Amino acid sequence: MIANLRDITYSYPGSPRPALSSVSLDVREGEFILVAGPSAGGKSTFLRLFNGLVPQFHGGRLAGSVIVDGLDASRTPARTMAARAGMVFQEPEAQGVALTVEEDLAFGLEQQGVAPAIMEVRIEHLLESLGIARLRSRRLATLSGGERQRTAIAAALALDPRLLLCDEPTSQLDLEGAASVIGALDALHQTGRTTILVSEHRLDRLLPVVSSVVEIRDGRLRHGPPSCATRWLEAVPPHVELCRAAGTTPVPLTLEATRSRLLALPQFTVRPMEPPPSPGDVLVAAQGLAISFGDTEVLSDIDLTVHAGEVVALLGANGSGKTTLLRALVGLQATTRGSVTFRGRPAPPSVQQRAAHAGYVPQDPAIALYRQSVRDEVVDGLRYRPGAASVDDVLRSWSVADLAAANPRDVSVGQQLRVALTSLLAHDPPVWLMDEPTRGADLSVSRFLASRIREHAARGGAAIVATHDIEAAAHFATRVVRLNAAGIEFDLPARQAFGTDGPCPTAIASLIPGAITLDEVAL
Amino acid sequence: MHPGSWVAWLALAMSVALSTTNPLYLVVLLLTLSLVAILTPRAEGAAVGGIRAVFLFAGGMFLLSLVVAVVNGSYGDHILFTVPGPEFPSWMGGLRLGGPVSAEGLVAAGIRGMAITCIIVSFYVFSSSVSPQRLLRTSPAALFQAGLVLTVGLTLVPSTVEDLRRVREVRALRGASNGFRSLPGLAVPVLLGGLERAMRTAEAMEARGYAAASPAPRVASIAVVAAPALGLTAATAWFFYPEFRWLAVLAALGGVAAFAAWLRAAARSRRTTRYHPEHIALPQRGAAAISCALAVTIVLIPIPGLDLGYNPFAGLPWPSFGIVALAPVAACAWPLLFVLSAPAGSGRATVLAEAPA
Repeated sequence: MIANLRDITYSYPGSPRPALSSVSLDVREGEFILVAGPSAGGKSTFLRLFNGLVPQFHGGRLAGSVIVDGLDASRTPARTMAARAGMVFQEPEAQGVALTVEEDLAFGLEQQGVAPAIMEVRIEHLLESLGIARLRSRRLATLSGGERQRTAIAAALALDPRLLLCDEPTSQLDLEGAASVIGALDALHQTGRTTILVSEHRLDRLLPVVSSVVEIRDGRLRHGPPSCATRWLEAVPPHVELCRAAGTTPVPLTLEATRSRLLALPQFTVRPMEPPPSPGDVLVAAQGLAISFGDTEVLSDIDLTVHAGEVVALLGANGSGKTTLLRALVGLQATTRGSVTFRGRPAPPSVQQRAAHAGYVPQDPAIALYRQSVRDEVVDGLRYRPGAASVDDVLRSWSVADLAAANPRDVSVGQQLRVALTSLLAHDPPVWLMDEPTRGADLSVSRFLASRIREHAARGGAAIVATHDIEAAAHFATRVVRLNAAGIEFDLPARQAFGTDGPCPTAIASLIPGAITLDEVAL
Repeated sequence: MHPGSWVAWLALAMSVALSTTNPLYLVVLLLTLSLVAILTPRAEGAAVGGIRAVFLFAGGMFLLSLVVAVVNGSYGDHILFTVPGPEFPSWMGGLRLGGPVSAEGLVAAGIRGMAITCIIVSFYVFSSSVSPQRLLRTSPAALFQAGLVLTVGLTLVPSTVEDLRRVREVRALRGASNGFRSLPGLAVPVLLGGLERAMRTAEAMEARGYAAASPAPRVASIAVVAAPALGLTAATAWFFYPEFRWLAVLAALGGVAAFAAWLRAAARSRRTTRYHPEHIALPQRGAAAISCALAVTIVLIPIPGLDLGYNPFAGLPWPSFGIVALAPVAACAWPLLFVLSAPAGSGRATVLAEAPA
């Protein structure tokens, strides 16, 4: 037994409701545990018990006992705990403490007073085993998200802890970065030396590799092996959901296993969604758009026309220019060539005027919430937009009416995202431009968003949504555009792009020809 | 160059800039510092902006000191012009606004402005050639609390700039204009965001074992309290009781010894090691030692011929100019010896150079 929680009930300082209540768990040596659950359900708090950050760093009241590697984690000093339980945090930017990769790995060792010769050997080993040896003298600030998280894992492992805690290490990363991080964790698990606890929203890649699953919901804990967990987990990948609905036991964990199982049970009928209504007038168009940063041209000769009723999913790897394109449409990014038109007329010069027609929601828009109440945020969003809807209508249409009096900084992350969307789109512009709105969002938030976007298109609006998440995009997109270094790689109707033979099939499409989301499959 | 050498250089440049009122020497000092600023390569991860911005800022501060002198008015024999302004009653403590402006007053303001300019440029050189992370790594283990604050602060600066940009954008997207009146609306989210991020960085450092070890022994705590008291005693005796200067020297030595004892004890109770420690090369050690000695001499010990002062109110004389007094001013150029003799792309620079992505 490496760690043992007994009857933990914990409340943050000043919070009336406990973040965790009566939580107990035994962690065996060498386990790889997935910690699932909705955002703000208590996953982060749970992980921080194991290295004593809760309650030692965060304060608050803790009842029960946490024993990690024979020590009481709630009392043992951080310096001692750091050598037993390493931690990787959600945000790549907030956890590097040194200038370069190598120095960052050395940091923890220096603090423990490890002899330089031993340090040298251990750092070499870490650089090799996490595949970051070529990055050794790079500055942390110049690394990609995936590289930074692998460096953070290496840094957490530097002290050779018996326990590794990862708090949503991939939620801020693109698909490729997330895959490299999960690959690194899996390889670490295979060595059998380290016990790993990782919290995550996207379970598809983790479910097949972990040895057990914990779900934390409203501060309560459930625990079991992955094959059992698929029965009671609330948010599961679409292929697991499909098997669950079909009553298959045991539920296969990988897409491949699901496919071979389905061949034996050909009982699904596909009810395709109604085809999107034929597009209306042109709402926004870019002609021959080119954008350069310094000497590098990031976008060249982009032609994109979006009609009323269309929802475009804008795909592409990191750095392919998705954000830049959206920013150019709303006027936040200067263009070197080309033009942007709204309803056939040249777009106005200022961001303020353009946003009245094409509302842009940047990544992590919650940064701009600063009023005392959610209601005031919406009032602020409408202040400069005469003739827009009333505050109460806006609050209702985004389902934040019950939060109207709350302080936007006190609500959960998912609610914060909704409040930010509400205030930026309160004036109901005909075109919505959204940059990764589902990044780090749990299933309920992304479902809600999909339904709002579909409604908007049905009312004659249009949207361009930059995203990495094709499973979420399949729920709202009518058209898919993928960017690459050369420009637009393809521009296809969503059914074709996400379909079985398309360039980016969804999990469901790869199992059941003709369907792209689970909603289209009838049992 | 080693961060420690740069600290010694900064001490010299600051003490020369602060004790010089002779405008000729100040001009030479400013030229010297500018030369160092231009020729020294910027360190990776330096926390300051470009050199042009710094010179513009320094020039602005110089002009500001002249403007203040004009608005305030001044006394002197050579009245240039009179600025109209209200008379304040004497009970307001001699507050002045407008009135006669003398040539002496303007020259004195110019001298103050130049000293400020020199200080700004020397701080620019320091912060652009020593990355804060390196400074933190080479600072004594005893100063770990200061190190924590510094690191958290450093991660805060660039991210705050980024937050500010994003908040301005989001406000524009809501239709608000980003004029001066929007500043309060910008400050709150940026500050809150910055504080939240600082907490996350502090948490990450704690999770990596960056925390206080067992408390230092009682003797060390007494020593660290005694050190500043002894220093104060030394300064008082030196400046106000010339007959007790021997006591001042003793007190000063005692203070330094007490501080050193604390550093040693605190470092012992917090055993840390260094990965690839940086050593100061012997020539640099020499230069740094001479810098410190010069800095102390300029501030404390009057040497015949070494007079950096000038009083414009004594009838606006032509300032003196002597080779002895020029020596400490010119000595501020010593980093150039090391900067220019280092072959391009050698040493630290290569270690930190970016590998192609």
